[in-house]
Amino acid sequence: MHVSTHPLEKAKSGHHFDMESLVGYILLTGVLLSVAFLAVAFVWRWARVGNLRFEHSIVGMNFFEFILSTLRQMASQAFRPRLFLNMGIGVLMLTPFVRVLASVFYFAFVEHNWKYTLFTGFVLSVLTYSLFLR
Amino acid sequence: MSFHVLFLVSILAGFIGAMSGMGGGVILIPVLTLFGMDIKYAIAVSIVSVIATSSGSASAYVRDRITNLKVGMFLEMFTIVGALAGAAITLVSGRRILFILFGIVLLSSWFALLRQRSEGWRQASHQDIFSRWLELKGSYYDRSVGQTIVYHGTRAYLGGPLMFGAGVIAGLLGIGAGALKVLIHDLVMGLPPKVSTTTSNLIIGVTALAGASVYLAAGMIDPGLTAPVILGVVFGAFMGTRLLVRLTNQAVRRIFLGVLLVLGVEMILRGIWGV
Repeated sequence: MHVSTHPLEKAKSGHHFDMESLVGYILLTGVLLSVAFLAVAFVWRWARVGNLRFEHSIVGMNFFEFILSTLRQMASQAFRPRLFLNMGIGVLMLTPFVRVLASVFYFAFVEHNWKYTLFTGFVLSVLTYSLFLR
Repeated sequence: MSFHVLFLVSILAGFIGAMSGMGGGVILIPVLTLFGMDIKYAIAVSIVSVIATSSGSASAYVRDRITNLKVGMFLEMFTIVGALAGAAITLVSGRRILFILFGIVLLSSWFALLRQRSEGWRQASHQDIFSRWLELKGSYYDRSVGQTIVYHGTRAYLGGPLMFGAGVIAGLLGIGAGALKVLIHDLVMGLPPKVSTTTSNLIIGVTALAGASVYLAAGMIDPGLTAPVILGVVFGAFMGTRLLVRLTNQAVRRIFLGVLLVLGVEMILRGIWGV
């Protein structure tokens, strides 16, 4: 085991924005945003109809169609608790996807590490394919 | 199932999952089926909540620079393909076989926890060419010993294919399969315990997403059932990590051992008798 004693090493490395910060903040933002959307959906539903039951399904569409249809309805000012609920689930599922997408760009344009650009690119392609399934 | 039942069960699962470090899915799925939920829907709901718990904790570990991103991103290539295959198998397999498989995984986790690995870690003597080519090395600052630990990963040629298997189990049963991933990191790739746990956490999120995409395409992700579970598991996990510092390791371990054993036996019996 190689051991060196540089307690300040970590603190120093934390000063610049690197891949760890990028990945860490994407994950944190995604989860917090998702929980916020879900909480708003339930509080609103409770205030409006007095129960917390949502009865709608995601059938016959792929993930991206699900997100787009939710966004389209929100854009046409049709704000409903159900749409916030969909956004909460959508944002959560997008979180690891965006993390992988950001990693591809980071490896390609910041680190110029083609090996890992290829690896993360493969993961991104498989995930994109699977999210297009329906 | 009502919001209250789903929410409370999920808080409990997230809480126990975070305290034991085994994740919420292993508790959540058996309990949801006890409340009458179809095991396939319980698996689909659970795998979405796994994205939340793993991303939440991974965000902190990554920013602490303990997680090895390159190890994680190399192994993800295998786990996501495994998770897609696993989830596809679940869609076509019988429910009784899923109960039995789940029971076997619970009992294996019980056994692994019973013979808990020692915390001692020794650096692998040499790094093979493939792992060196993959740049599987790193260092992190260990607060408990006040030192920077430098390490390298080995046997990636074996770790990758084994991770495919861990991905299959994750997608098949809707769990993180973190214990299995950690075992591969530890025993096969020679990573230090803290690096293996945190890196496994990072991989779990992407793996769960791959599995979840199959269940979503099959129309099995019901937003009304999934949302309370996400909220509950996140809330429970948050409380679990806070309480972890106050309870002794031994007490947590004993409680969790009991829960795993009871649920494992119960799932196998339900699979055999078809109830």
